[in-house]
Amino acid sequence: MKTMNMKKWLSKLPLLFILTVAALVWLLPMYTMVANSLKTQQEIIRAQYYLPPHGLELRNYVTAFSILKQGLLNSVLVSVPATVLAVFLGSWAGFFLARMRFKYSQTIFFTTTIATFLPYQVVLFPLMYLLMTLHVINTRPGLVLAYLILNTPMAMLITATFFQMIPVELQEAAALDGCGPVTFYWRILLPVGRLAIISTAILIFTFIWNEFLIAMAMTQGPSAQMATPVLAGLKGNYAQVWHIQMAGAMITSIPPLLIFIFLGRYFVAGLMAGTLKG
Amino acid sequence: MRYNRVHIVLFLAPILIIVLVLCGMIAWTGAVSMDNWVGMAPVWQFNGLQNYATLFRMERFWSALQNNLIWMVAFIIPSAALGLLLAYGLTLSGRAESLFRPLFLYPLALSFVVTGTLWAWLYDPDAGVINNILKSVGLGDLGQPWISSPRQATFCLIGAAIWQYTGFAMTLYLAAIRDIPSEIFEAAKVDGASDIQIFRHVVVPNVTQATLVTIAMLTVFTLKVFDLVWVITFGGPGTSTEVLGFFMYVATYRQAFIGLGAAISVIILILAIAVVVPYAWWSMKRLQT
Repeated sequence: MKTMNMKKWLSKLPLLFILTVAALVWLLPMYTMVANSLKTQQEIIRAQYYLPPHGLELRNYVTAFSILKQGLLNSVLVSVPATVLAVFLGSWAGFFLARMRFKYSQTIFFTTTIATFLPYQVVLFPLMYLLMTLHVINTRPGLVLAYLILNTPMAMLITATFFQMIPVELQEAAALDGCGPVTFYWRILLPVGRLAIISTAILIFTFIWNEFLIAMAMTQGPSAQMATPVLAGLKGNYAQVWHIQMAGAMITSIPPLLIFIFLGRYFVAGLMAGTLKG
Repeated sequence: MRYNRVHIVLFLAPILIIVLVLCGMIAWTGAVSMDNWVGMAPVWQFNGLQNYATLFRMERFWSALQNNLIWMVAFIIPSAALGLLLAYGLTLSGRAESLFRPLFLYPLALSFVVTGTLWAWLYDPDAGVINNILKSVGLGDLGQPWISSPRQATFCLIGAAIWQYTGFAMTLYLAAIRDIPSEIFEAAKVDGASDIQIFRHVVVPNVTQATLVTIAMLTVFTLKVFDLVWVITFGGPGTSTEVLGFFMYVATYRQAFIGLGAAISVIILILAIAVVVPYAWWSMKRLQT
């Protein structure tokens, strides 16, 4: 038996070797970013980028953080409320479409799917005009509104896919007890479907945090600018100052990377529900 | 569960309002694309299809469109193929799957601005990481101009995008392979099929649906690609890496040709509709009613 296992394991060696090489290639950019974000200017000048840093030059992070501070704050103050509102409104409609027999549900689902995958360029200029008309251009509430409009359809799509998997019996039992749709949503669906809500929220938060086109087109100057345009500006203003750029890129990546490391399962679940299956 | 008209309005009004606002904006873009609007202040001066005619005469437009087509071929096929190979490799690797999977998927969690900042440096012809690594292992001759060459630059951008999106295709394919009934695999193994034969005759024909979804999603991605171009090359050298999404932004916000920018948006919309509408139709069908 033991030799059998050994043999099986040996036959897998070439495959594991190939996968390891591929994984190293995939990790190399990340390694470059982390290693060089911790190097001093002198180390960078020597251009031996693949070597690990001599020490931990945390001053790079201090410099990058002082530039990105306001942008990061804006990103938090925009991404969090926009995510909460989009997931609430999306799941509110998603629940009704997924759980109620209703004549036009397919039509609404169809239209919302199209809205979800619309390239932002198509609505970019009118969106800016809308925010100007409402006097919220270049403000955080304006960005929240923009992201709310653009992400609620996706939140609906993902939550509806998840909610379809909740057993019918639960709904029937609740109906027998005289529970209406509103009570059912608050009292039963939200607690039972909390993994769906978490997955959707994680995915949408990551999208908004990482988004660049809207963030740039709807703001000017530092007051409401999110972290991504500031980082892009860092590349322009600190050309060739790679270690500061890498530290800035690392700082901007921390929230989504933490989510990916600790809540990766939900991230993937949300991604799958948004495309293929629940 | 009982519900009435009030419930329908209560639950669906918010999403319907949002969808209507989006439709309004699309119509607005369509109207502006037929206006002679230059400068930031509104100019409602109907000029028919003049903006489109101007656009079709511009070499810059055709080169951007051509780059979009290059993206579709050179980005989608390798990402999907690599994703499928990795998914099958991970499936075969057994328990090692959970170790390897995040290593290919993590770039998806990063912002394109981060990817752009990072890869702009990797590709830098003089101080860049790739050329320096080649030099340090004695392969300096293999060094390339990368993003400073108009011929290579678009492919460099595509390389960064493949790095970021292969994990996405891989995830879709992993789920699709897991859905293939295990009896089919076992039957093939009993017949003495090798892993490669199983891949060709069992896996590939049974993941068609995942392939269609992957292609649809990645096509939509190529139509809106903007961030990577902006951060890594800013459309350059010259205009060699411009894509429609980038050209639209520059025409609208940098040069204030609002009507022309709207016309580019409409063309992006038409291309997107060709993919999104069939996809939405297919996805609507799986909604149980």
